Amino acid sequence: MTTLRKPPVKRRGALGWLRANLFSSWGNALASVAAVTLLAYLGGELALWMLSQAHWGPVWANLKLFAVYRYPAELLWRPFAASAVVLLLLGVTAGVGRRSGESIAGGVFWWFFALCAGLTLVGAVAWPVARWGWLAASLAGLLGYGAGRLRPRLARALPWSWGASLLVVVVLLNGFGADGALRSVSTKEWGGFMLTLILSIVGIAISFPLGIALALGRRSKLPVIRGVCVGFIEIVRGAPLIMWLFIASLMVPLVLNVSPNAVGPLSRAMVAVTLFSAAYMAENVRGGLQAVPKGQYEAAQALGLSGWQRTRLIVLPQALRAVIPAIVGQAIALFKDTSLVFIVGLFDFFNVGNIVANQNASLLIPGGVRLELSLFLAVVYWFFAYRMSVASRQLERQLGVGER
Amino acid sequence: MSARPGSRVPFYRNVKTLGVLAQVVFAVVVVLAAALIYHNVSSALSRSHVPANFSFLGVRAGIPIAETPIPYTPSDSYARAFLIGVLNTLKVALVGVVLASVLGVVIGVMRLSANWLLRQLANLYVETIRNTPLAVQIVFWYTAILTPLPPRILSAVRWPGGVLVSNQGVALPWPYPTPAFPTWLPYLGAAVVLGALAYVVRRAQLRRADRPGSPLVPALLVALVVAVAGYLFVGTTPLPAHAATSFRQESGIATVFVDANGDGKVDQGERRLAFTPVVAHVAKGVLTTQTQDLSESRQIDYARFRFPPIQRGEYDSATVVFADPAKAEGLAIAYVHEPYQGIVYRDANGNGRFDAGEELSSSGDAKSGYSVELRMTVEGFRRRLVTDRDGQARIPRFTTGAAKAPSSGGGANMSPAQLFAPPSQAPAPSEQTTLQARFDAQAPRPIIISRPTIPISTYFGGLTLSSNYLALLLGLVIYTASFIAEIVRGGIQAVPGGQREAAKALGLSDLQTFRLVVFPQALRIILPPMISQYLNLTKNSSLAPLAAYVELFAITTIIASQTGASVPVTIMLIASYIAISLVFAFILNAVNARLALVER
Repeated sequence: MTTLRKPPVKRRGALGWLRANLFSSWGNALASVAAVTLLAYLGGELALWMLSQAHWGPVWANLKLFAVYRYPAELLWRPFAASAVVLLLLGVTAGVGRRSGESIAGGVFWWFFALCAGLTLVGAVAWPVARWGWLAASLAGLLGYGAGRLRPRLARALPWSWGASLLVVVVLLNGFGADGALRSVSTKEWGGFMLTLILSIVGIAISFPLGIALALGRRSKLPVIRGVCVGFIEIVRGAPLIMWLFIASLMVPLVLNVSPNAVGPLSRAMVAVTLFSAAYMAENVRGGLQAVPKGQYEAAQALGLSGWQRTRLIVLPQALRAVIPAIVGQAIALFKDTSLVFIVGLFDFFNVGNIVANQNASLLIPGGVRLELSLFLAVVYWFFAYRMSVASRQLERQLGVGER
Repeated sequence: MSARPGSRVPFYRNVKTLGVLAQVVFAVVVVLAAALIYHNVSSALSRSHVPANFSFLGVRAGIPIAETPIPYTPSDSYARAFLIGVLNTLKVALVGVVLASVLGVVIGVMRLSANWLLRQLANLYVETIRNTPLAVQIVFWYTAILTPLPPRILSAVRWPGGVLVSNQGVALPWPYPTPAFPTWLPYLGAAVVLGALAYVVRRAQLRRADRPGSPLVPALLVALVVAVAGYLFVGTTPLPAHAATSFRQESGIATVFVDANGDGKVDQGERRLAFTPVVAHVAKGVLTTQTQDLSESRQIDYARFRFPPIQRGEYDSATVVFADPAKAEGLAIAYVHEPYQGIVYRDANGNGRFDAGEELSSSGDAKSGYSVELRMTVEGFRRRLVTDRDGQARIPRFTTGAAKAPSSGGGANMSPAQLFAPPSQAPAPSEQTTLQARFDAQAPRPIIISRPTIPISTYFGGLTLSSNYLALLLGLVIYTASFIAEIVRGGIQAVPGGQREAAKALGLSDLQTFRLVVFPQALRIILPPMISQYLNLTKNSSLAPLAAYVELFAITTIIASQTGASVPVTIMLIASYIAISLVFAFILNAVNARLALVER
C-alpha cells in the first residue's frame, strides 16, 4: 500500500541553500531574521559613525608616534632599514624551495608585503616622511622573493641569516657612538608599534631556549632540579604578567643593587616578559615531550646514544614539531600581552594610544576621540594576531597534529 | 664505549653519582644566586629608608576608595585597604565567572548551530575578541563607551524597570532583607526541611517504580510553596517601639532609628533601622541650580539646567522660574524632561518655542560661560524610599526659599557688568525658615525592593554598579567568553557522532538529545579547561587600573607608591595570587576526581 507524498524539498541553488542554512525551521527563521536585523543595525550605525561623525584627524596626525614614538625623526631610515632587512629575508624564505613550509611562509610574506605597499600608499597621501621608507621596504621584499625564486640554494644560508638579522636589527635601532648617522638612540625614545614588535619577538626568541631548559628540568629524574623548575614554572604561571612587570619595576634595581635610574624601563620589562613567557613556553614544550612515545626513548638507548644525544637528536625534534602551533599561540598571547608594559612606564603601541587620547580629550573635539583611537588600536592588534592565528591553523593542518 | 661486564664503573661515569653531583652543583648555584640576591636587596634596603617589614600595614592608609563592600574610611589601616582590594577582586571575579560561562556557552553552541548566519556571527565574535588585547577592550569599554555616553548623573537615562544609567554607572532596583527578615526565617527553615523530605520521598518512589525522572523538581516546588506561603502569612511586621526619624535639612538626609531615650536625636548606641520603607513628604520646597554649557555626546549643549530628577506622581505641582527675572529679560525655558531638566534660550522670534539658532551659544549673544540661576518650587513632594544599610534615606536638598544667601559662588561665572550692578531685589522672605518635611517609616515585610533615585549627585538606594566596575566586568566577560566558547565547541564536537545517532534512534528530540546525551558527556571534556579559564579571568582582573577600579593589584600599586615598601608588597602580591591559583587548583582537582567517579 502506498500513500501519496509531497515531492522532496529542493536542496539545490540559492533558494535551496537559503532554506537549508537559514530557514530550516521556524526557530531558525526567527533567529536569522533577528541576526540580520542586528547586523544591519549595528553595521549601519558603525558605518554611518565612521564616515560622518568620527574624527580620524588625531590618528593621521600621530602616525609617527604610533609607529616609533620619540625615535629621532632624522634617523627614521634606521627602523625602515630594519624592516627592509626582515622583509628581504622573509621574501627569500618565501621564494626558495617547494617544501612544506613554503605556502605558510609565502602567505606571511605576501601579507607583510601588502601591508608595506599599503603603507607606501598611505605615506603618499598622509605621511610624507615615511613614503620612501615603506617603498624601500616593499622593494627589498620583492627583491628577496625574486632572489629566492631564482636561486633556491639560498635556502642553506637562511638559518644563520635569520640569526644574524636579529643582530643587524638591534645594531640598526640602537646604534653606537655619540654622533653620525648611526649614533646611539636611548631606549627611552623607543616606542610605538616598533616597541611592541621588539618586546614580542625578543620575548619569544629568548624564552624559547629558556623554556626548553625548564621543560627538560621539569621532566628530569633528579629531584632537586625538578623541584626548582616546577617551583619556578608554577609560581610564575600563578600570577598575571602585569604583576610581574610591576614587581620587576620595583625589584630589579634592588636585586642588582644599583640606583633605580641605572636600569631602564625597557630592560625591566624585558626581564619580566621573558621569564613569564619562558614559564609558559616550558609548559608547551612539556606537552610535546610527553607526546613523544616511550619507544623512541628506548630505541635511542638501544642505539647507544648518550642522554644528551638522545634528547637533542631524537626527542626534542619530535617534541618541538608537535608543539609549534601551541608556540605560535603563545606568541599571539605575548604579542597581545605586551600592551601591559604601560605599568612600567614604557610607551608601546597601546600606551601611545592612551597619550594621544588624553592629548585630544575635549580640546577641539567635544568628548575626545577615545572611540576612534580604541577602534584603531583594536584593528591593528587584531590584524597581526589574526594573521598569526591563521598561520598557526595552517601549520596545524600541515603537521597533522591531532591526527596521528 | 660501554664497560666490560663485571668490571666496576668508575665513579665519574656512574649515572647515579653523576646525578647526585649534578644536583649538588645545581643546588649550590641556586643557593648562591639566592644568597646574592638576598645580600643585594638587603644592602640596597639598608641604604634607603623604605619599610622592609610588614609593620606599615597597621598604619593609617589615607587612601580614598570609591567602592567598598565593607565599611571603610581613608583613616583605616593599610591592612584594611588591602582587604577591600581582595574583596573587590572577588566581587568582579565571581560575577565575571558566572556571566562569562553563560555567554561562552551561548556563543559556543551558536558556533555549531545549523543556522549559517548564527554560526558566522559567533565566528566573527570569537575571532575578533580573541585576537584583540584585553587592555584595549577594557579601555574601550571604560573611556569610549561608559564614560561619555550617558553624560552626567543628573541626566541619567531611565531604563524600563527603574534602572538608571549614567557615567557614574548603573543603578538597579535590588531586594534587601529588612529588620522583619528574622520573622520569616522559621518558614524558610521549614521550606528547606520539607523540600529535602520531598526529595527523599520522591526519590524512593521513583526507585521503587523504576522510572526515570528527577526528584529535584517536586522538591524545589514544595520548598517554593512553603516559603511563599510563609512570606504571605508573615505579612508586615510592626516597627519596633520608639521608632523615630530625624531629618537634617541641609544634607537632605533622614535617619530612621529606635529612639530609646526619646530625645528625638540619633545618639551613639541607638539602633538604626536598615532597609526600612519610609515615605518622605515635603509640603513645599525650593531647589536652585545654574545653567551650564556642557559638552555631551560629541556636541555642546548651551545653557542646560538640571535639577535632581523628580518623576511624575512624586509631586503636586512644580514650577521653574528665573531666580532673578531682571537678568533674564527675553530668556525662556524649554524642557527636555519636565520639570527638572531643560535648556534656557533667547526667544528671538517670540513664538514661545525653542527653534534652531536661539541657543545661548558662546558664539552668539552670550559670553563664554553664560550662566543664569533658576529656581524650582515643588509643592506636595512625596517619595517612597528604602533606608540604606546605615538606616539613612536621602531626598533632594530642598530649601524653604527664604533667607537666600546673596548669590553665593556666582562671582566666578559673572561678567564684570553683573558684578558691579546694584544688588538685585531679594525675593520676599517668607515666614517659615525650616522645611515642612515629614518622614513616615512604615512596617516592613521580610524582603523589600529598593529602587534607585538621584537625590543630589550620587545614586541613592538600589544596587549601584560603578562604571569602573562595569568596564572591567564587561571587558573580562566578553574576552573570556570567546575562549570558553571555543572550549564548549570543542567539547561538544568531541562527543562521538554515534551517541547522537543512537539518541535519535531511541526517538529523543533534538533538545532531549542535547540535554540528556550530548551535554553530560561534553561537560566532562569542557570542565577542566573551563576552570583554567576561570583562573585566567581572575588573574586578568589585575588589569583593573585601566578602568580605575580598585582591586587587589590596583590597591597594592597604590600602597607601594605611598610607602615605597617594595619587598613586603612583592611578597603580598605573589602570595595573594599563588593563594588564588591554589584555590582554583583545588577546585580543579575536586572536579577531576568527581568526573573520574562518573566514568565507567
